[in-house]
Amino acid sequence: MKPPQSKKSGLLIEGLWNNNPVFKQVLGICSTLAVTNLVLNTLVMCVALIFTLSLSSFTVSVLRQFTPRNIRMMIETLIIAFYVIIVDVLLKAYWPEMSSNLGPYVGLIITNCIVMGRCEAYGNSNPPAKAFMDGFFNALGYTFILLIIATFREILGMGTFLGLAVPYFSGPHWDKWIIMVMPPGAFFMLAVVIWIFRSIQAVREDKKK
Amino acid sequence: MIRKKTWFPIVYMFCLTAFFSAIVIGFTQATGERVEANEKLAFEKAVLAALPGLYEENLSRMELHKRFTESVRPPDDSSGTAYTLRQNGQIVAYALPVSGQGFWAPIKGVIGIKADKKTVTGIAFYQQNETPGLGAEIAKAAFTEQFRGKIIAVNSQPINIKRPGDALGDSDVHAVTGATQTSTRLENIINTGLKEWLSQTTIKSSEELL
Repeated sequence: MKPPQSKKSGLLIEGLWNNNPVFKQVLGICSTLAVTNLVLNTLVMCVALIFTLSLSSFTVSVLRQFTPRNIRMMIETLIIAFYVIIVDVLLKAYWPEMSSNLGPYVGLIITNCIVMGRCEAYGNSNPPAKAFMDGFFNALGYTFILLIIATFREILGMGTFLGLAVPYFSGPHWDKWIIMVMPPGAFFMLAVVIWIFRSIQAVREDKKK
Repeated sequence: MIRKKTWFPIVYMFCLTAFFSAIVIGFTQATGERVEANEKLAFEKAVLAALPGLYEENLSRMELHKRFTESVRPPDDSSGTAYTLRQNGQIVAYALPVSGQGFWAPIKGVIGIKADKKTVTGIAFYQQNETPGLGAEIAKAAFTEQFRGKIIAVNSQPINIKRPGDALGDSDVHAVTGATQTSTRLENIINTGLKEWLSQTTIKSSEELL
């Protein structure tokens, strides 16, 4: 892992690419596998994570001067849980169908390693604005990988994208790969995505040398 | 410095917890009514969808609720656990709530049955947590529309959910491809519910005859 760079554009590249939470740090895999069989579900999940991650990191950073070191993880968990419950309640009240689609996974953001990881690695030792941006970009890094996986899974497995029929894949000549929307499909897709992105990264690093 | 005191972490944690909990509690209270209303409305919508000629797409929340309270009567002695739809005091159709364990979590739904207690007028689910794209397809029209007009068989299997592609009889529907577990459990839920209700209500009506 490279040390975090100081500039804002550095944070962007760190979160989205160099230090991408999914394909580089391999964190948050539980939800990556679970919610990526339909693009819409993935999108809502990612918005929830962007909200939780940036605000948790921000709050942890605001309180970092006062928080005693020995209880900092309890405080972090408390803050994360606070934001996650807010998201969960909002979905239950204003989008009940989505809330039941995502089932327990919104609540499980609390245990998403990316959130705790960013609070620990960055929020704890940097000023609030930077911590917010770091959380935001890391969540974006998570989002774009999940969307790639979800797009392939939904199109190959269901012949649809965001619920809309995709030409050819929804047609009679394409035998839907049901396995893609089932749990094993997630493992295959994740492995392929990590493989491709790491290969690109390796090639780029070779060129730099 | 105050941070070095041994009691500081305890007091600090206590204050923060109190602060965040207060906000969450306030927030939950504020939206609690809406959450409850959503759950009730989901059920009412399912009842309307299962009964004949009541449900329309794009009805607003208020219209849905109004239509439910106006046309549907709660269960009474003669209908067992089923809600009823009446015209001029005569029962036109029953809406029977059924529930049971699905593949991941409980499935709850409503079966609409004509007054003859033989013909299914529709089925709708208001709570299920099956795999999106697979088991969850049971809640979609493509699956539920199959039930309309099916005959409840008078044997141990009132309704059969058959493999996709199999020939269908009067009491058979096709399962969702790739969702065998959900389909088997759903078949069980529907049949247990129907059999229980039929035996209950027929005993009652024969008692009335005596």
